[in-house]
Amino acid sequence: MARDLDVVSPRGRVVRGALSVWAILIYAFLFAPIILLVVFSFNANRYGTFPITGWTGKWYSQVFHDYQIRDALTTTLQVALEVTLVSTIVGTAAAFPLVRSRLPFRSGIRIVMVLPIMIPGLLIGISLLVLLTSVFHWTLSPTTAVIGQSVYTTPFVMLLVAARLQGFDVSLERAASDLGANTVQRLRYVVLPLIAPAILAGALFAFTLSLDEFIITLFLIGSHNTLPIYIYTQVKFGITPEVNALASLLLAASLFLLALAVVLPGSIRRVARRVPRRAAASA
Amino acid sequence: MRPPGSVGAATTADAPLPSRRASGRWSSRLGQYAGFGPALVLFGLFFLVPLGLIVCYSFWQVIDYNVVHDWTIGNYRYFFSVPTYVSTLWATVWVAVLATALTLLIAFPFAYWLARYVPKRLQKILLVLVILPFWTSYLLRVYSWLTILGPRGAVNRFLEWTGATSKPVSFFLYDRPAVVLVLVYLYFPFAALTLYASLERFDWNQFRAAMDLGATPARAMWKILLPQVRPGMTTAVIFVFIPILGEYLTPQLVGGARGVMIGNLIVNFFQGAQYTRGAAAALLIAALIVLLLVIFRRSLEVEDVYGA
Repeated sequence: MARDLDVVSPRGRVVRGALSVWAILIYAFLFAPIILLVVFSFNANRYGTFPITGWTGKWYSQVFHDYQIRDALTTTLQVALEVTLVSTIVGTAAAFPLVRSRLPFRSGIRIVMVLPIMIPGLLIGISLLVLLTSVFHWTLSPTTAVIGQSVYTTPFVMLLVAARLQGFDVSLERAASDLGANTVQRLRYVVLPLIAPAILAGALFAFTLSLDEFIITLFLIGSHNTLPIYIYTQVKFGITPEVNALASLLLAASLFLLALAVVLPGSIRRVARRVPRRAAASA
Repeated sequence: MRPPGSVGAATTADAPLPSRRASGRWSSRLGQYAGFGPALVLFGLFFLVPLGLIVCYSFWQVIDYNVVHDWTIGNYRYFFSVPTYVSTLWATVWVAVLATALTLLIAFPFAYWLARYVPKRLQKILLVLVILPFWTSYLLRVYSWLTILGPRGAVNRFLEWTGATSKPVSFFLYDRPAVVLVLVYLYFPFAALTLYASLERFDWNQFRAAMDLGATPARAMWKILLPQVRPGMTTAVIFVFIPILGEYLTPQLVGGARGVMIGNLIVNFFQGAQYTRGAAAALLIAALIVLLLVIFRRSLEVEDVYGA
């Protein structure tokens, strides 16, 4: 009804029209830089920006043949895999007590858990740098970067899994325990299958975040390069079409992973829903 | 499956159940707390300890390139004795305030439009489109503006092409306005998402009721809508304002010498091996952030913001 009224009154129509134009402008604002970046990566001229002098894929082939980029890619993937492993395990484990136990100082613990997301990465990077080099006397390596990134990515996994646990019907577990399942069995056959989609989504998010992480890595990676660090060192000398191409590839990779993070858990859920039904039918 | 009759099962099952449940609760409670173990190591050893160390460093001194554990507030005094540092601190707060205000101002009409005028099915898709850039690389989103702004950027090329200018104007790259523009761009999704989340819960019939009772649209908005979406606005402010305080990359890439923020100052200190002074500067920002978080802890609905 309210909606109809808005449409009928001329004034409502004007407001609605103006807001629609505003929204279109917003989408243009959000996507223009990214789209231009991709357009420039196919542009033939050497400056990495307008004018467009023709289309070429040669910047991409340069990216694929650059050994520095290949090294950086290897390091990036290695770090991202390790970060994913660490943050998925730690985050999932921590989500349980966060949701289920009666914690004292709940809001305090919440703040500490959320702090790594809220606090600037700069502070995480610098404070870890001081600890690891001045106190522990470690040499900086991809491993130290993994530690730093995990501090930042783990809360995301934890929040995702915790959200799923919150909507979890505890009576299912009670039923399993009434039927004689011990803690391990309950976890293995009841809890984990139900929260698996959230864990998977968390892992994919952790991977994507690690892939793109810049500031913590900058302080902790030492003499190695990840792709964002490599891009940063190149950007200091100005924009080049090769960096545009590399950036476009990285964007595509992030978007692909995000799509996976959204689509995969849903399809797993669908499969998982079918399995218990089959089990119930056979019982 | 149970061999005994149901009556017997009920009586025998009742007796052992409390003890089993009690022991189960005990062990599972222990098991539940054990889940914090790895997180305790990760966040304790590699997050809280280093932050504590930074706190200590900010009160220690460097003498002959060695950190001496003498407690002093000299680092803070030093920071506030250099006018450039103080003005950078104020500029940082000012940029954060301005960027936050602009982000909200831009995001509110958008979220309003999305929540009120767009069919429910489309809302989800349009919202995902807003969040999409946010989940891509932060570095790349800043970088993408370098191809637009700047002497060789798209804006200048466009102006030249249309004949508006004959030679490239340094179209506000390497100054504060560029920093604010890019920050608004970076943090818009946060604001749009939180504002939408609170506007979506709003019952528009209330709005209509107010108008039926004679309120003008503006008055209805002020009296009915705004009070109800205020929590969402607070969340948006926190999630935009706080991260901006610690910005490093944006001022570094598009701000140049005139767009310096406190983050750049901190990094410069550490790169110059002035650890204790850098720690003091870092702690000023960290203290401000923690203070804001404690004040607004009720509004910390991170799940809302990150769509978890």
